[in-house]
Amino acid sequence: MVALPAVPLIDEVVDVERRELHASEVPWSTVVWNDPVNLMSYVAWVFRRHFGMDAPTAEQRMMQVHTEGRAIVAEGNREAMERHVEAMHEYGLWATLERAPR
Amino acid sequence: MRGFVLVDGGFEAVVEPEEARILASLAAQLSALLGEAADDESLSGSDPAVARLLPDAYRDDEEAAAEWRRLSRRALAERKGSFASRFAAALADASAASESTRIRLDEAGALDWVRAIGDLRLVLAERMEVGDDREGMRDLYDWLAWMQDDLVRVLDLAEERRA
Repeated sequence: MVALPAVPLIDEVVDVERRELHASEVPWSTVVWNDPVNLMSYVAWVFRRHFGMDAPTAEQRMMQVHTEGRAIVAEGNREAMERHVEAMHEYGLWATLERAPR
Repeated sequence: MRGFVLVDGGFEAVVEPEEARILASLAAQLSALLGEAADDESLSGSDPAVARLLPDAYRDDEEAAAEWRRLSRRALAERKGSFASRFAAALADASAASESTRIRLDEAGALDWVRAIGDLRLVLAERMEVGDDREGMRDLYDWLAWMQDDLVRVLDLAEERRA
């Protein structure tokens, strides 16, 4: 057996690459979660009104929330996603933000 | 109440005094609950309705969630409380009337209503889990759903006309 190096070299390389990204450039996602209360018509309307989605896109995202339990509705920097999450809470939708999958 | 119609510069519905009193009472209770919740973060832990009205913005990061609550929770609760209190205020005359009243809303008013009604349904959904008068609450819950759906319909119509 070969002894593993004490420091995981691969992670280190990844870390170096990540450090080059300014905090404002790290992508985040706004996620809307399914709840049993909000009406489907209302959720689709919120997506149209707040995000400016066209009707088919809003309908598709709403159905994704409904059937898969969650959908990503916006991506961007952290501050912008926090504003979206707060707006969703104003509308009574259950939303969170998280780091976008990379 | 038969639903809203689009009129010049807004939306109109005819509301019976009894309907207005029920809605105004619910709206005042919601406003009071949000007022308490704004001042007392621990209500999010003890009252599931408050937890649902003011959810955490981060799911798997308690530190970020706590920071978010510190910076944003109170103002959000106050804004939601103001949707509810403006909803209640719009119903004041109709509640005091002896006959049905025509209520007119501009777009901002309709947004207050559609949001406050949604928040009321979130609270009722939690209260129905444990409450005594479940059937009565279910009727209210369904009635509010109808009203919210109706408002979405006319808000959409107004948007289409503008386009």
